[in-house]
Formats: sequence, structure tokens, C-alpha cells
Amino acid sequence: MARIYLDHAATSPMDPDILDLMTQTLREGALNPSSPHAEGRRARLLLREAREGIGQALGLADVRQVVFTRGGTEANHLVVWGRASRMPSSPLAFSSLEHSSVRAAMEARGLQGQTVHEIPVAMDGTLDPARWKPLLAGGSAPPALVSVQAVNSETGIVLQLEDLLEGASECHVPVHVDAVQALGRIPVPLPQGRPSDPAYVTLSSHKLGGPSGIGVLLRNPDTPLEPALFGGGQEYGLRPGTEDIAGALGAALAVRKAMAGAHTEGPRLAQLRNRLAEGLLRAVPALRLIGPDEVTSGSRAPHILMLAAPGLPRDLLPGVLDLEGIAVSAGSACRSGAASPSPAILSLYGEEARHLAPLRFSLGTMTTEHDIDEAILRTTRALARIPALQGALA
Amino acid sequence: MKSERILVAMSGGVDSSVVASLLVEEGHEVIGVTMKTFCYDENQGPTRTCCGLDGIMDARSVADRLGIPHYVFDVEEEFTRDVIDDFVSEYSEGRTPNPCVRCNSNTKLRDLMARGEAMGCDAIATGHYVRRVEDPAGRGPHLLRGADANKDQAYFLWGIPLDLLPKLRFPLGDLTKPEVREIARARGLVTAEKPESQEICFVPTGDYRSFLSKRLAPRHPALTPGPIVTVTGEVMGEHQGYAGFTVGQRRGLGGGFPKPLYVVRIEPATRTVVVGTQDDLLASTMKVRGLHWLATDLPLPASDASAMHVDVQIRHRAGGVPAEAFWDQETGTVSVRFATPQPAVTPGQSAVFFKDNRVLGGGRISSADR
Repeated sequence: MARIYLDHAATSPMDPDILDLMTQTLREGALNPSSPHAEGRRARLLLREAREGIGQALGLADVRQVVFTRGGTEANHLVVWGRASRMPSSPLAFSSLEHSSVRAAMEARGLQGQTVHEIPVAMDGTLDPARWKPLLAGGSAPPALVSVQAVNSETGIVLQLEDLLEGASECHVPVHVDAVQALGRIPVPLPQGRPSDPAYVTLSSHKLGGPSGIGVLLRNPDTPLEPALFGGGQEYGLRPGTEDIAGALGAALAVRKAMAGAHTEGPRLAQLRNRLAEGLLRAVPALRLIGPDEVTSGSRAPHILMLAAPGLPRDLLPGVLDLEGIAVSAGSACRSGAASPSPAILSLYGEEARHLAPLRFSLGTMTTEHDIDEAILRTTRALARIPALQGALA
Repeated sequence: MKSERILVAMSGGVDSSVVASLLVEEGHEVIGVTMKTFCYDENQGPTRTCCGLDGIMDARSVADRLGIPHYVFDVEEEFTRDVIDDFVSEYSEGRTPNPCVRCNSNTKLRDLMARGEAMGCDAIATGHYVRRVEDPAGRGPHLLRGADANKDQAYFLWGIPLDLLPKLRFPLGDLTKPEVREIARARGLVTAEKPESQEICFVPTGDYRSFLSKRLAPRHPALTPGPIVTVTGEVMGEHQGYAGFTVGQRRGLGGGFPKPLYVVRIEPATRTVVVGTQDDLLASTMKVRGLHWLATDLPLPASDASAMHVDVQIRHRAGGVPAEAFWDQETGTVSVRFATPQPAVTPGQSAVFFKDNRVLGGGRISSADR
């Protein structure tokens, strides 16, 4: 039975072109851009090439806006920690849908005594203005940072960021946009020089067919950060440690490819997502759509579909589908694989979340219509074994 | 033998690792699962890391090496409700519970079966040292003691839901512990030398008094000082809360008595810990409540008052002792008369009835009498 991979929000298989580029780079010799010799100079050139590649693909004015980190989590941590350390007596704010790397860093600052605000997000992706507006006005202490996702990784909810970005620019509050799940799927605000642009944007290479272990922090260099790690002066003093040149080149190619295909790939994925949702909801009426009410809602990212079965153990369904040859997840899962409702799902559904068994399907560039039809077939077959769901069918 | 899809409950210990390994070798399609029952990390903040439990990681590495799927099921809520809450409430009422019995009767096997069915499994296998054999007349399987008398775990399994028994597999039932370790070593399983876990899984330090003090209200009577009194009514001193005591216990009473003293019973209403000599510990009868029967093909002490000759086991590792058991319609309990008086018959502990090696059923001891 051929496996069907529908867990691209977790990671995607590597794009063969990127793999080729990286292996070729790694074969060609030593790569430390700080070294005072020809090999070092070559490494420096390649790193610059990677930075320029990303800058050009994203319309950034200055290569210094591109900072490589060792992953999306690290980029998020750098922004949260870096801003919080810079302005320790200012409050911080984040949306209720944030990834654990933002939420946990924020909560850790909270434990150290910094004021942290959580801004609720509605099912349609609206950030509660009653919460963020007074916060930005802030009187004597406007926030050091507001951190928001572009697309929620579990539910696919697209956050409506325009008003917040506008408001924040009026109050000179820097906004961080975690665009790890968004780039190449929907338009993403980037630090391109307009006042209402975000000051920071996080990208992750491995969600785009690039290597894992490399992330990109885009920044407005005029909004200063403290480093979160200490050591050498690499990456403009923000991320010490010898640079991963092959990784940076891989990430750059991934970003370029994602941007080149963005106009066609978003609609293609949305069509496949609709097909999947309609097929499954028709075949298994007990399943419930998570997130915006309509499958085709503009507040839903094209590549992520979360469904849930009420009344089943929360961690059951990914295993059931795995045994049918389908790779999906329950949304955010911690290292052990056990799933509790995430803070994001709890914020959307309250206590009801404890009685929903989630299934997150996430599509990628390699996903075909045949994959979707086969996934509908196998999922329907597998769920037919579960009495609680059969009951609902009758 | 027909190949089955079997769910194996893998704790991350050597026993369940060997079960998975043996079933793979027999050609079954094996699915490993680990139940996350309890989080030892008391942090509630961003650093709470209960998903990194060693047991889960070990089970996972064994499964990965065997090339079988492995899933983690989070049953913390169910486990807290069915096992921990009961544990706390029993101790708070002066009884000594068997949480492993509760877990096997309620949480573990029932939850595994429900999930196993969703995964299309034919059977559930565990690393218990018990045997399940088919009835010669086809009236449902028998549950027997394990072949290794030192490791036999039949005492913990009397509460298995009857409808699950036909679907359970106990591949270690005919093996001894040293044999199981040998099998694990021969296959290079990472858990081969893992030490036995003797303590209650959610009280890994063994300090259940401190566990109880975190779960009971601060001024709960079970944690409040009370008198230590002899069976003849003489006050011997004060204790710091009866939750720390169990019948038969000698430690914690203070010393300096002419004869060694033991806890004979606990009287929660007056917070009294009654102590006595070894002779005072002996009971000739007991009552057992909350009965559950596995051997439904036999006449059982469950419907009429005629005495049945059985062996009864009143604590883990104690073995069975001959007794007469009869049904007491009035109280809905089984009354047991031991052939010879037994020491430290402890309310809250399981009483398990056997005919030879076969588990007939069991219940919880509610009271004991001299």
C-alpha cells in the first residue's frame, strides 16, 4: 500500500533540486565564512548569495534584513527574547493561536516578571481589537513586541493582521509575524520598508521543501534586538556560531521556489483541500470542521484542513490513519506523540476541545488529486471501524 | 498459527518489550502503544515536560528497533479519575488500596481495547505473568497464575472485564523472569537490564504520604494528628495523620514498647490508629465487597449461602490460603472463613479467589474479624 503524506505542516520531504544544490555545496570543501583564506572567502560569497536570493525573492531592500537561524523556533525565540531583553520593563503581547515557541518564550518572560498579554483570536482570524487597541496606546509603556502568526499551524486559520499592523505602526510598536505556515500559500506582510510592515518575520525552510534545522528571521534593521545566544559576531551579532552554508543556500532556494509558484500553488492546494473536506464530511457525517464555518472561507489557509470527531480519545485518529498508510497528525504534538488539546484549540473551543479528537490534514507541493481521493477512501474505511462514529452515521 | 493484528501495551520495561519482540517473531502484525497515565512534572508553566517520560522513550526505541508502529495514548484524565482519585479516597478513609488492580480493571485494558478496535486489532497483549487457557468445553477462557511463582501477577487481574478476556494475550505466562531477561539480552533490547519497578507508578519515590498530602485538603482528618491506642484501650502516643499507616505496619509508631507493636486497624471517625501485638493482627474471617467473577462456568459464592472451598489471596506475593467463602445476601458481600487465622488482613486490599491456579474472581476486603 503506497503511503500518502498529508502532514506538510509538520515538515515536507526535500525538494530534489535543493538536495542537489546542498550536496554539491557540501562536497566542494570547507565552509567557514569567518576564515581568512580562499575557502573562507568562497563560503562568505555563498552565504551572501543565499541572503541575496531570499532578499530578491521577497522584495527586501537590504541583505542585512535576512538573518539565518537554526530553525523557526530559534528565530521566534530570538525575536521574543531579544525584544523582551531589550525592553525588560515594557509589556509583551502575543495571539492566542501562537506556536509553542512563541507562547512558551512569552510565558517564560512572564515568570520572570515581565507583563505578558494574550490577545484572543476569533474563528475568522480576527484579533480582538478591544484587547490590542488599548494595549498599543499603552500610555507610558507601549509593548516591546506584539507577536502574531500569519497562519495557525493546527487549524489553518488565517489571522487578519492588517488592522493590527496599521495600528502598531501609528504607535511605533514592532510587530513580529510568524509566517512559517504561510509563505508561498497566502500573501504575507514582509518588512519591505512601509510604515505598516512588520518589523520581524519568521520563515522555516523545511516547510517549503528545504532542509530542516535552518530558519530565517527577516527584520527591519532599525528595530534593534538583543541576541539570545552569545559567542562570535555571526549573523550581525544576532546568531553566533559557524554558519550553515549549505542550509542557507537550501533555504534560499526553497524560498525562491515558494515565491515563484505562489500564485498558482495557493489556488491548486485550496481546490484539493475542498475536495478532501467535501469527500470526508459527506462520507463520515460525524466529523466536524474545525476553524471557520465554511470549508472555502477566506480565513482558512489553502493547505491545512482540521477535522474532529467528537467523543473519541484525542490521540486516537492519527494512529488509525497511519495504519491505513496515511500520514497526518493531531495538530501540535509534543515529543512523546501524546496529544493534549493545545492552548490554541482550547482558546477557540474552550472545554469542548477536550472531547474533540482532531485530525489535521496538511497538503504540499507534491500532493496530487489521486492522493486526495485515496485518502478519502482509506479514511472512510478506517473510521467505519469506530462504533462511536458509526452510530452517528445511522 | 493465524497471524493477528495485536496491540501490545508497552510500558518501556523489559517484560512488555519481550512481548512485542516475541509476537513479531511469531509473524503477527504488532502495534505498540504506551499509555501516558501520569505526569511526574509538577511544573504547570512552559517547562512542563511530561511527554519526555523515560518509559515512553524506552518503549518507543524498542518499537522502532522492531520496526513496528508505536503510539502514545494520553489517558491522564481517565487514570486520574479511575485510579488516583480512588487511591486518595481509600487512604483518606483508612484503607489500603491496590491501584494496579484498579488500573487493570478500568483504565488500561478497557481503554486499550476500545482503541485497539478502532485500529482494527484482533487482540491485546500485555507483559503480565499470567496465563490464559481455553476452556476444554468451550465456555470461555480461564485466567491462571503465571508459571513463575515469584512473578505471578494474577492477584492484580481479577477485575478484568469479562468480555475482554477472550481478546487478551499474555505471552509471558509460561516463562520465568530470568528467561524473559535472557530473551531480551539475546535480542539486544535496550530494556534488557532495566530494573524492576516495584513502587506504585504515580508515586515513584514510594513516599505516598507526601503524595496524599498534595491531593487532600490541608486539614483533612487523614493528615491530622490522632491517638495511637492499643487494642485494650491504652493510649500509647500520637501520630501525625493516619494516611501514613497501613494494617500490619510496624514502622512509624515510635519505639520503646515491651513487645513489638503493629497497626491492627485504623478508625477514621476518631482518627485512631489501633496497635497490638503480632497475635492481635490475626483474623479468622473477613468480608469482601465489590465482587467480580471471571469463572462464570463454576458454581460461585455469588448467589447462595452454601460454603465453597477456595484458596484466597489477600495481598501481592502472599500466595493463596485455604478458606471457605459464602455469599451473604443481606450485605451483598462474600464472607470468608480462613482455615487458619491470617495476619494483617487489610481493608481496601484485594481478596482474590482461586481454585488451584485458576482465578475465580475477587473483590475488596471491607473488614476483618478475629
